[in-house]
Amino acid sequence: MSAALDLEDVRKVYRAGEGEVVALSHATLQVGEDEIVALLGPSGSGKTTLLSIAGGLLAATAGRVLVGGRDISGATPGELTRFRREQVGFVFQAVNLVPFLTARENLLVVDEIGGRRKGPESRARADRLLEELGLAHRAGNLPGQLSGGERQRVAIGRALMNEPRLVLVDEPTSALDTRTGTQVMELIRTEVKGRGTAAVIVTHDTRMTRWADRTLHIDDGVLSAVPAAGPEGGDAEA
Amino acid sequence: MTLAWREVRRARLRFGLLAGAVGLLIFLVLFVQGLTDDLVTQFVGAVRNQDAPVLVYGADARRNLEGSQITPAQAAAVARVPGVAESGPLGEGTFTMRAGGALVDAVLIGVDAGGPGLPATLVAGRLPEADGEAVASDRDRGDGFDVGDVVRVEPGGAPIRIVGRARDINYSVSPTLFTTFPTYEAARRIRNPDARAVNPSAIAVRPEAGVDPAALAARIDDEVEGVEALTRQQAADEAPGVSAVQQSFTVVNLLFYIAIPLVTGLFFIIVTLQKAGALTLLRAIGAPASVLVRALLVQVGGVLAAGAALAVVLLVAADALLGATGASVGVDLSARTVVVTLVIVVVLSLLTALAAVRRILAIDPIRATTGAGVSA
Ligand SMILES: Nc1ncnc2c1ncn2[C@@H]1O[C@H](COP(=O)(O)OP(=O)(O)OP(=O)(O)O)[C@@H](O)[C@H]1O
Ligand SMILES: [Mg+2]
Repeated sequence: MSAALDLEDVRKVYRAGEGEVVALSHATLQVGEDEIVALLGPSGSGKTTLLSIAGGLLAATAGRVLVGGRDISGATPGELTRFRREQVGFVFQAVNLVPFLTARENLLVVDEIGGRRKGPESRARADRLLEELGLAHRAGNLPGQLSGGERQRVAIGRALMNEPRLVLVDEPTSALDTRTGTQVMELIRTEVKGRGTAAVIVTHDTRMTRWADRTLHIDDGVLSAVPAAGPEGGDAEA
Repeated sequence: MTLAWREVRRARLRFGLLAGAVGLLIFLVLFVQGLTDDLVTQFVGAVRNQDAPVLVYGADARRNLEGSQITPAQAAAVARVPGVAESGPLGEGTFTMRAGGALVDAVLIGVDAGGPGLPATLVAGRLPEADGEAVASDRDRGDGFDVGDVVRVEPGGAPIRIVGRARDINYSVSPTLFTTFPTYEAARRIRNPDARAVNPSAIAVRPEAGVDPAALAARIDDEVEGVEALTRQQAADEAPGVSAVQQSFTVVNLLFYIAIPLVTGLFFIIVTLQKAGALTLLRAIGAPASVLVRALLVQVGGVLAAGAALAVVLLVAADALLGATGASVGVDLSARTVVVTLVIVVVLSLLTALAAVRRILAIDPIRATTGAGVSA
């Protein structure tokens, strides 16, 4: 069985004015077909960078990126757009919903921008996802009329809409209180596991890692299975 | 498509205001154009819609029938120019007439019965065949100038019977009659009983088959002393006042023309900037830029279509209002003018919308990961 995500010695260097920032150095990572990996690390450690590269939003400076066995390292922008549309489900750190679309329409838009499903099929899937996420009664609300937790749940539904091979979730709970955050994590696990989809979930909150099959630590762009020495990474599973 | 309409539905007021503004501007463009055309037609319709392809004026008249005179010698010389198939006198003058019980200032144009210079746009009745008969402008039918009506040149002129109506044959924005030259001559004598001979204001010329009117006009200019020969088109377009009217209205219209695409272009740039976050998100989750561009163009098209529809409704209403208030001007618009105007407006607006398209194409989907798209 090929891995859902396979990063081989990936390096990312940002050029910032005169200097350089090494956001990822020699990152190697495999995520199995239905595995949930938590990526834990302090702010600025390179978590979003890793997700962006895995999701075809950002080109690595060096190394190979395979999703479902396919190398996307040399893909054209057009191919990457299609790849994101068909293979990846994103939940971003900041903006996740189109403000002038209702919860339901935010799911439907995934098919309207060129997805595989047609009208009735698409609507049926959106309604089923909203139901599972406990949002059926909120389907007609605009994002501005939803709570933070509800918005995050809509974003999860949106990310699952295209039946992705790989779900990439960036800080799903950072803006939520602990109880809501726990609910959201539970939902992500249920939904992802129920579909046999792989997921990488970024967080800097150690309490959230218990929903993952495996936790990886990242510090200063370096991945490791154990927390790096230091005040920030040392208190896992406290 | 769906994306575009959903957004419009959520921001009905905003898009409605834009469509309203565009509609109003298109209306103004067409209205001014219609007024100009109507005014020009009322100024020189008689020249434009008479059937002589060439008109010969006195050289000092500066293309104004009112001040033009042709001597018998000049008339004879014109008739002898090679290429002239037929020529006849054309007299023009403004007279006080009694029509429908009221006194009005009206223009009388006298030409040879059956000769060149008669109206080419007859809509009812027939052309004058005998002295004392006239064709009136269709526009004045309600003011005592309908077929069967009888009018008189005051004071004490012989009756002139209206035997036909023709479309758009007014001159100098006055009620206008085409009659025989002797009838015109008689009217002149009422005003000036001592006149020895009444000279025509111009000579109406029909070229021989295959002779180009412009070339013939040039030849007449060369061969006949003291006259200026003009094609029908020139005579209408270069009549005093007409070009001035057209120029000033053209300037006004140009401003409106520019305003429409500017307003639309600016609106869509602002809207695109405001939703940069959403557009970035959509690009990040795999929307091709072409899908977003198409949504924008659908919105531009929708706004223009709604604006155009509104403009047409306003035009019809304005025309009805002008008609109801008995205003002396109306909106004279051909379907062609409307279509050409709309095409220009749509093309210019799409051009300015390209600025917004460029914004969309410049979106970098990576910014969705940082939320930077929101403020960009
Ligand atoms: N476009 C960029 N240009 C230059 N440097 C960048 C750019 N994007 C990120 N960086 C730098 O790369 C490093 C990793 O950034 P990244 O966004 O991946 O961190 P993160 O782990 O997601 O942080 P956070 O938890 O705050 O979201 C940081 O030092 C950051 O300043
Ligand atoms: Mg981040």
